[in-house]
Amino acid sequence: MLLSKSFALSVVLALMAGQPALAADKYITNLGPMPLDDASRANIQGRGDVSATLDGRKLSVSGTFKQLPSPATAAHLNISLATGVPGDKIFDLTVTQAPSGTVSGDVTLSAKQAAAFRTGKLYVQIDSQKAPDGTIWGWLLPDHQIVGADVPQQDHWFIPQLDTPSR
Amino acid sequence: MLKKSALLLGVAFVAGAALAQQASGPFTAAQVAAGRAEYAENCASCHQADMSGGTDALPLAGKGFMAGWNNRTTAQLYDKIHGSMPLGRGGSLDEKTYTDLVAFILHANGATAGAAAFAPTTAVKIGAIANGTIPDDVAHPAPAAPLSGAAAATGARAGAARAGGSGRLVYSFKAGLLLEGHIQNYTPVTDAMLTHPADGDWPMFRRTYNGWSYSPLGQITTDNVHSLQVKWMWALYEGGTTEITPIVHDGIMFLSESGNTVQAVDTRTGNLLWENRLGPAPRSTGPGSSTEETRSLGLWGNNVYVATPQANLYALDARSGKEVWKTSLVDGKPGIGGNTGGVMIIHGKVITGLTNCGRKGSTDHCFISAYDAATGKRDWKFLTVALTGQPGGDSWGGMPDNDREGAETWIAGTYDPDLNTTYWGTAQAKPWRRDLRGSKDGDTDYANSTLALDPDTGKLKWYFNHAPGETLDLDEVFERQLIDHGDQKTLMTIGKPGILWKLDRVTGKFLDARQTVFNNVYAGFDMKKGKPILRKDIADQKVDQWLSSCPGPEGGHDWPATSYHQPSDTLIVPLSQSCVLMLGNGSQVYYEMPGTEGNMGRLSAYRTADMKPLWSFQQRAPFLTAALSTAGNLVFIGDFDRTFRAVDVRSGKTLWKIRLGTTVQGHPVSFSIDGKQYIAVTTGLGGGSPEEKPTTMLTEVHRQPTGQTVVVLGLPDE
Repeated sequence: MLLSKSFALSVVLALMAGQPALAADKYITNLGPMPLDDASRANIQGRGDVSATLDGRKLSVSGTFKQLPSPATAAHLNISLATGVPGDKIFDLTVTQAPSGTVSGDVTLSAKQAAAFRTGKLYVQIDSQKAPDGTIWGWLLPDHQIVGADVPQQDHWFIPQLDTPSR
Repeated sequence: MLKKSALLLGVAFVAGAALAQQASGPFTAAQVAAGRAEYAENCASCHQADMSGGTDALPLAGKGFMAGWNNRTTAQLYDKIHGSMPLGRGGSLDEKTYTDLVAFILHANGATAGAAAFAPTTAVKIGAIANGTIPDDVAHPAPAAPLSGAAAATGARAGAARAGGSGRLVYSFKAGLLLEGHIQNYTPVTDAMLTHPADGDWPMFRRTYNGWSYSPLGQITTDNVHSLQVKWMWALYEGGTTEITPIVHDGIMFLSESGNTVQAVDTRTGNLLWENRLGPAPRSTGPGSSTEETRSLGLWGNNVYVATPQANLYALDARSGKEVWKTSLVDGKPGIGGNTGGVMIIHGKVITGLTNCGRKGSTDHCFISAYDAATGKRDWKFLTVALTGQPGGDSWGGMPDNDREGAETWIAGTYDPDLNTTYWGTAQAKPWRRDLRGSKDGDTDYANSTLALDPDTGKLKWYFNHAPGETLDLDEVFERQLIDHGDQKTLMTIGKPGILWKLDRVTGKFLDARQTVFNNVYAGFDMKKGKPILRKDIADQKVDQWLSSCPGPEGGHDWPATSYHQPSDTLIVPLSQSCVLMLGNGSQVYYEMPGTEGNMGRLSAYRTADMKPLWSFQQRAPFLTAALSTAGNLVFIGDFDRTFRAVDVRSGKTLWKIRLGTTVQGHPVSFSIDGKQYIAVTTGLGGGSPEEKPTTMLTEVHRQPTGQTVVVLGLPDE
């Protein structure tokens, strides 16, 4: 497959603060609502922030969440085909049984799972009473600056982008 | 393991044991009859009278419907419709209306009425009572409503007040030349004026043939924009969809509004000069669908030209508003398309595209066509799908020519006078999904392509397919910017996938591409051919499979057009950041694009010479106007959450903003009168994915369903 200089550059742009993706050990995500429509959106809301550190194969996950419409019931780490594509549960995480709280866990990844982690294919999902099949989620991406709304960024600023150019 | 079906529905699936296995019902014939009338009033404008679906509306009868609903229940169908319909006004109808609608939809898919009435909690597996067989009374429906009097003359519906809990309003609509104008000393528009517009004019969709949306006026600058103030406002008719471009010439602003209303307004005072309501009335008193707007008018000679969603093309006298001529783009055949993108005028020809055309089951194709501006007589017609024997004719997987559908042209084109070539973008092949389309792995030329045509003959000079075999409603139909770098003549465009393209506009050769937002639809990109490579599960999609699409049908980039600031070689691109999961029939659920922290709106600037990204900022609300750049080094843009702002084109920094009455939607322009520069922008409602997605996802944003206006801004008087 031929990849363009533009798409190759996308890889570079993904490396917030100039950190190479494959060398980064800290990953972060902002949790947001899972897929919804007008009929389901009342129960699928909330936000959260989670970070994950990979030490060898050991992955430590910790974070917070808030504003779920109903108490959290479960949390887990999932693996997916690509960033943004729903996938399958691989590990349970510990979560506060409330609309707000913490989520955490220490797991040991297989080599395949570790590779998936480094290419943006692992995500954190929290379920709740009124949306038991998923309420908020977020894909773990290399540590990067969280840019606020309405703040112009110069030059090679770009959202995390690991998957498209690498496959 | 994630249970996708339950995840998508957000409701518990009724256990199989609880499903009643019955051959009829659970609804009555009386409910079907009532539901038929309610459907005509509330649903048909988007989903079509025969329930086959529209540009942004799912099919509600036949295989397309059953693909998504075969394994779901009648109660879930009720919940879905109650929660989300009519578009943007979920839950606004009474319970009886919703239950009747469900009954009618079940009937439309082959279910048989029984003795028991349907109730909201009646949960029967739809596949157990319906098989997608469309009865004749649905496939060939009677006219939706009686016509009478003046309304009949224009195709407008006769309104009827209805009492009830849903509190419907009656829309009063009177068609005709309601105010005749007597404009003196109007300067006729010539080819030369269109090629080199006066600095103070905005005579066509993107102001100039090259599509830049750039004003050479520089009185309003980065230094004084902070004092910008409202000079006058003009309320637009409510109902329908507003994404218009105020066209300005000779101190007169021409507006196209709901109900195909055309008005001329004095730019000095905001006074109405003439008004012609061509009709028919908008199909909804509230915000309309993506097939009801008129994005732009055209000017030539003493006429103003209007192409309507009903596929009529009018020439009106720009001085009086009187009709000069009228013709049908589709030779009077109903239901095979209309126009929303507006017109362009080249060499005395009115050139226009077609949308909501080329649907499955029809043998009529979409086309671009040209008409004599003096008489309305058709000069040429170019079909926008490649047929057997034509260049690209072997790219449809062997499909019969009559089945090659789609490739709508819902955005007006651009034009290079030196090359005498007009450039048009096309939308995707239809049906959207390749597994339903029958085109196998074919590229489906000329869908999702750039078409280069001779404006005098309609002959194809070259084409370039940006999304071969596209399958997720990711159009590449939008504006084509014509930008030169020395001797190199380029064309730049960006579609819903968010790939910014650069082509050689002399030959159509691919030059470069740049990814602007997160994308997981493409697994790679062949940079030699300029060809994206679909993710494998998308390429191998199945009808009953939910697929992730980032971006989704909102784009990436959508109709809010780019602007080219030539002095700094900067292309300013409105972008959106949302994803969808989509089922075979087009059912969708929405979610935030990864890595965006819920910011759906994004404005990005690129240097076109080398495609270098210059600056970007993002915000919660998506942008719903085109970008407008000016010689004052400013970019103007408006958003879903009612803010209109001025941005420094060199830094992306917001210098000024104002909150308006409802969503700022349309194509802002700049003009001058009496030596003073003004900015005109519209607030507007209605439309497809760019309105639908944030309406559902931005739960904290509350907008009025009314308030469509044109707002004119200027510097304080000395």
